[in-house]
Amino acid sequence: METRPWLRTMKARALVRLWSIFGERLWIIVNMGFPILSSLALSLLYYSIGATSYIGFAILGGVMVAFWGNVLWSMASQFNWDKQEGLFEIYLTSPASMSALLIGMSFGGIIGTAPSAAMVITVGWVLFHPVVAASWLAVALTFLLTLASLYAMGMTLSSLYLTYGREAESMNNVLQEPVSMVSGLYFPALGAASPYPFAIQAVASLVPLTIGMDALRKSLFRGMDVGSIWPSLVTLAVMAVVFLVISDFALKALESKGRRDGTIAVRIR
Amino acid sequence: MALDGVSLGVNRGEIFGVLGPNGAGKTTIIRILSTLLLPTGGSASVMGFDVEHEPEKVRHVINMASGADKAGYDFISAKRNLWFFSQLYGIEPHVAEERIGDLSERLGLTKYLDRKFYALSTGYRQRATIARAFINDPRVVFLDEPTIGLDVMTARSIRDFLKDEVRQHDRTIMLATHNMAEVEAICDRVAIIDKGKIIAEGSPEELKRKLGVPALVMEVSPPEKSFDALTQVAGVRGFTSASDEERGLSTIQVVVEDDGSARRAEEAMAKSGHKIIASWRKETTLEEVFVAMVGRGFKEREEQDGD
Repeated sequence: METRPWLRTMKARALVRLWSIFGERLWIIVNMGFPILSSLALSLLYYSIGATSYIGFAILGGVMVAFWGNVLWSMASQFNWDKQEGLFEIYLTSPASMSALLIGMSFGGIIGTAPSAAMVITVGWVLFHPVVAASWLAVALTFLLTLASLYAMGMTLSSLYLTYGREAESMNNVLQEPVSMVSGLYFPALGAASPYPFAIQAVASLVPLTIGMDALRKSLFRGMDVGSIWPSLVTLAVMAVVFLVISDFALKALESKGRRDGTIAVRIR
Repeated sequence: MALDGVSLGVNRGEIFGVLGPNGAGKTTIIRILSTLLLPTGGSASVMGFDVEHEPEKVRHVINMASGADKAGYDFISAKRNLWFFSQLYGIEPHVAEERIGDLSERLGLTKYLDRKFYALSTGYRQRATIARAFINDPRVVFLDEPTIGLDVMTARSIRDFLKDEVRQHDRTIMLATHNMAEVEAICDRVAIIDKGKIIAEGSPEELKRKLGVPALVMEVSPPEKSFDALTQVAGVRGFTSASDEERGLSTIQVVVEDDGSARRAEEAMAKSGHKIIASWRKETTLEEVFVAMVGRGFKEREEQDGD
């Protein structure tokens, strides 16, 4: 596909996501309110037991859980929902690039989730004043690479979920809570401070969120710079590329299989 | 539904109907031609592009819509939905705006463009779906039951729009439907399909003319589901019936070869213990063409397949 139509498709899909997120007042409240609540609850817990150095982790976790929820519920499931609604057929019979649609969804999701993340940071900062010793370049790079790899993972899941029916939703539930737990959204999950044995840490490291959270904690609260956390940055970059490649491959393979088997447009009625 | 030896050619600038009962294979034809499904044998092309080997080229010249879907994003307006779908084709934003305006006006959608998709009534959602199918100025449009579930006036306005699109913009439309009146109203030619096979093809007028004499309609009492006596009558090519329990009668439409066959059919019904309340002859429709070819009507065919 040529560049300009590709970009138009991507931009349009991003806008649809933003219009949907900000088009309903209730959704805005839910999107912004939920991440704050869990983050505040943990911050209060850490505060009440005197573990104030962990409060920053809870706030950071609240920020990232907003993006993780968006990746699962608005990225991974999206093509499956589109398929059930008859929208996927429209995509397929148009010359639009599926990758452009997925990347558009990602940008829309990231921009649409940013206000929730900003709200968590603002409220957390005002109420708890967490101690920060940031290496800001490292924080920015880690944050961007974590989002890139997370949303690339969402693109892969979106492609794979095309073969799913109602199980897609169950799969999201399966992924949401365990991943939140082992990836260390609210406490360190990797290294000596982790409560998990090495085997669980190794498995958890397959999810970009775990690597990203660990590197964010190091750069934001311990002031570690790019030179110190580069293995995490490289891992996140590699994960982003690998997930993008898998997503593209999976989409093409599934489209081809779906056209051959007649399952590409089959829906649950 | 698997297709069996289907061979069709659709001329540029015509509305071509694919008519058949549910499950006959109409949607399969549309899905193959719109690149959603690969044929397991044979070949198919659209505007000279092979659907199996050149799907990208096909997708540049086609669009499709299914009446059963009314697909769009619920939480954004009809206008934004249309704009979004136009961008899938890489259309310049100002051109997209013009097309949305033009299509909406002609489909009577303008007043409702700013409403969220979920807030549109069935009729207006369907108009938006039809507008979407023409948003990329396609050469060929595939429509699957485009007026299903719509009131008479909305269906008529959509049919008028489709006719205009073909006449004024040199488009070709393939229309899969089980609505015979729709085919007779707008299709230049039609293929009647049953169990994956094309059983008749031609203009609606040609097909009806081939049947010759008008069909016989009888209202008989008591109501029954099967009228085996009719199957024994020479010159009866098939029949379809509907029971009306409330009125306590059945209406039978019998496709006959000549007037003598019609008379014998009435006699057979009387002999089999049925009281003929009324009988008359009616102008041939495409349903009679189907009955003549298959022996039973759409409804009976669907019930048979459901068993």
